[in-house]
Amino acid sequence: MQLKLKNFTKTFDSTTVIDGMDLTVNDGEMMALLGPSGCGKSTTLFTICGIHRMNGGTLHFGDREVSNLPSQQRNVGVVFQNYALYPHMDIRDNIAFPLRVQKLDSTTIARKVKEIAELVHIPELLDRRPAQLSGGQQQRVALARALVRKPDVLLLDEPLANLDAKLRLEMRSEIRRIQLETGITAILVTHDQVEAMSMCDRIALMKDGKIVQLSEPSEMYNNPSNVFVAGFLGNPPISFVKAQVQGDDFGFGNNRVAVAPGLKFRVGGALQLGIRPEHFGPQFGRDVQGKISFVENQGREDLYNVTLENGVVIRSIQPAGTRLKLGETVSWGVSSENVLTFDLQGARL
Amino acid sequence: MSRISKPRFNWLGLGFLAPAMIVVVLFFLAPVIMTAFFAFTNMSTSTGITGGDYLLSQSDLRSLANTKASAATLDALENAGYRVDDAGLARLAEAQGPATADEFRKLHEGDLFTSRRDMERALKDLRQHRIRSTRDRKLAAELFTSSVMDQRFDTEEAFRAALMTSGIEAADHDTLVDEAYTGWIWTTKNIELLASLSSSWRYAMNTAIYVSFTLAFNVGFGLFLAISTFYLSPRVAATFRTIWFLPRVLPPVLYVLMWYWLTWDTGIISTLAGYFGVAPRNWMLDTGTNAWVVVILINGFVGASLGMILFSSAIKAIPASMLHASEVDGANRWQQVRYIILPQLRWPILFTSSYQTLSLLTSFEYILLATDGGPGGTTEVWALAAYHTALNNYGGNLQYGLGAAYALVLVVIGIVTSLLYLRFFNFRELVSKPRIEQ
Repeated sequence: MQLKLKNFTKTFDSTTVIDGMDLTVNDGEMMALLGPSGCGKSTTLFTICGIHRMNGGTLHFGDREVSNLPSQQRNVGVVFQNYALYPHMDIRDNIAFPLRVQKLDSTTIARKVKEIAELVHIPELLDRRPAQLSGGQQQRVALARALVRKPDVLLLDEPLANLDAKLRLEMRSEIRRIQLETGITAILVTHDQVEAMSMCDRIALMKDGKIVQLSEPSEMYNNPSNVFVAGFLGNPPISFVKAQVQGDDFGFGNNRVAVAPGLKFRVGGALQLGIRPEHFGPQFGRDVQGKISFVENQGREDLYNVTLENGVVIRSIQPAGTRLKLGETVSWGVSSENVLTFDLQGARL
Repeated sequence: MSRISKPRFNWLGLGFLAPAMIVVVLFFLAPVIMTAFFAFTNMSTSTGITGGDYLLSQSDLRSLANTKASAATLDALENAGYRVDDAGLARLAEAQGPATADEFRKLHEGDLFTSRRDMERALKDLRQHRIRSTRDRKLAAELFTSSVMDQRFDTEEAFRAALMTSGIEAADHDTLVDEAYTGWIWTTKNIELLASLSSSWRYAMNTAIYVSFTLAFNVGFGLFLAISTFYLSPRVAATFRTIWFLPRVLPPVLYVLMWYWLTWDTGIISTLAGYFGVAPRNWMLDTGTNAWVVVILINGFVGASLGMILFSSAIKAIPASMLHASEVDGANRWQQVRYIILPQLRWPILFTSSYQTLSLLTSFEYILLATDGGPGGTTEVWALAAYHTALNNYGGNLQYGLGAAYALVLVVIGIVTSLLYLRFFNFRELVSKPRIEQ
C-alpha cells in the first residue's frame, strides 16, 4: 500500500523538528530513512505509526487518510530498536497479541501465528520466553508480531542496532527477504548507510528535519546532490579537495586531475572535487603526488591516506598486497570520469 | 581434582559488621525474645516484674480450697489462735522484760486461745508486772499468734519456718509456698487460656476481616490510583499523588480527628444527610458495620498511598517502547492495562500484599484512635486485644504475661506467613536480575 506524507511538520514545544516534509513510499517498496542522529528520522517513523501526533500536514495509507487516527486504528506494524517484546508472555502470545486484542477466534489466531512463525523461521521457539532467546531470534519475533495482522505499512526503527556484526549481516538479508515475500510497504530508519544501501529500494537521506536527497542507492552513491550526501555514503568516506579549473585540468597545488571529456567548466573557477577512495590510485595515472600518512590493512584490501603537499588528505583503497610503507612518496592518479564536482557551497555542479 | 577454597574469615569484617549486628539483635531479635519470655510468665501489675514475697491472704485461702490441701490445713490456717509457747514468751521477754514473761509463763504456759480477745484477756491476768496500756497489750497478744496468715515473709526459708511452728501438716507446705508467693512465675497457663477463651476466636475473626478487607482496598485502590495517574499529564498526576499521600504524612491523631469530624453525629455526614431528612447519628460507632467501614477506610487510605507510589514507579519502569508497541499492535487503554501493565506489576503487587499483610496484622493504632475496638468489641482485633490486655486494662491489673501471649501468637503467625510468602511466590526468582535486556 502506498504511503504518502505531505507537508508534514512536527514540533516539540517550540522546536521545529521537521518542517514541511513530503515523502511518498510506493506500494511494496522498502524505503530507508537515513541520516545522522537528530535528523528527525525516528520522529518521522513514530509519527507515521501514530505514537507522535503531526503538527501539520497529512498522511495517507493508500486512499485512507490516517493523519489524526490513533495508533490503534492505523494498522501499522512496528519493529522497535529494542524489539519491545512482552517479557511476561511466551513467544506464541507475543506474536498473537495484535490478533488477540482484535478478539479473533483462537483457531484463526493459532493458524496465523503458525504461518508467520514459519515465514520468519522460528516455529520451534513458540513456547519459549523472550528472555530465553538470542538477539537475532528476538528480532525475528518482533518482525513476526509486526507482520502477523497484515499491516498496511511495516516500520523498522534501527532494527539491527542491537545485534552483533555477524547477526546484523544475517538479519539484513532476512528482513529484506521477508519484506519481499510479503510484498509489504516498509520504512527502515537507520543511521547506517550500509544497511540502507543493501536493504532498501530507495533511500531518503535526511538532515536537520529535511530530506536532502531521495533516490535509489546506487544513484545516490554515484550521483550525490551535494557534499553532505557524498560524504554520508561510502566507507571509507569520500575525500574533498579544493581545486581550480586550469584549461582541461582541475589543478590543486602541483597536482592535476583531467576534466572528463564532454564537461565544460569556466576557466579559473574555484570548486570542490569529491574523490572516492576507489577512484584514486596508481592505476589512474601519476598526476597527484603525496606521502603515505596512514596505512590500514583490512585483509581483502589496503587503505591508504595520502597527504598532499598542501596538507590535504585523499583516501585510497587498493587491492591487498600493495605493501606501501608509511612515509613513502607516491605519484598516483584520479579516475577523471568518476570525479564529483561541487561548488564551494557544497552543491553539485 | 578440584579444590574448594575455604571462605576466608576476617575479624576486621566482623568488626565492621558489629554495629549492624548489635542493632539487629537489640531492635529486631530482643523484642521477639522478650515477647516469648513474657508470654510464659504470669507477670501482671500485682506480681511486678521483679521477685516477690511470701504472703497468704484471704483470697489465697479461697483458691487453696480448690487444691489438694487438706481440710485440716485449711482449718488450721483459718482458725489458728494464740499459743503461749517458748517462742512467744521469748518475744514477750524482749518486748516487756523477762520478769513479765516469767510471770505469764507461770499463769498460762501451753494455753491456746482461739480469739485475740481471749488472748488479751489472758494478758490482763498479770498482777505483778502489768501491761498497762491497751495498745501495748494488743501488741503483746500479737506476739503469740500462731497463724501464718496475712504475714509477709521475705524469703521462702522464713515462710517454711513459720509453717513448721504453726503445726501445719508438712505434706501441704509446698502447696502453701506456691500459693503464698507474690512474685511472677513461669507458666503455660496464658496459652491455655487463649486457646479456651471464646473471645480469642472473635479477635481472630476480626483480624481476618480487618486484614483482608483493608489489604484488598489498599492494593486495589493503590493500583487504581497508580494506573489512572499514569495516564494523566505529569503535573496533574503529581498533584493527585501528593493529595493521596497526605493521609500518610499526617500525624495519625490528626488524621483520625478528621474522621471524627466527618462521622460524628454532629459531623459533616450527619449534617449533610440532615438536609435529606436523615436523623443524625454517629457514622463511626452506631453499628458494627459502620465501625468496620470506617476502620477499613481509615487504614485503607493510608495504605493505598504506599501502594500507589510503588505501583506508579513500577509502571514508569516499564519501557516506553513496550507501551508504544502495544498501542501500534492495536491494544486500547483497557487492553494495555490488562495485558501489558498489570502482568508486569506482579512483583510489586505481591510485595505490597505480603508486606501490608504483615504490617496490618500487627498494626492497631488507627483502630485504637478511631473506635478503640468498639462498639462492644466489634472491631477489637488481635493486636489491639494484646494492647488492651497488657497495657491498657480497664480493671487496672495489667496482664503483661497474657498480653505477651497474644503478641507471641502474632509473632508466630507473622513468621509463618513470611515463610509461606517466600516459598509460595518464589521471591528469589522475583528479585533476580531483569530477564530482558533493554
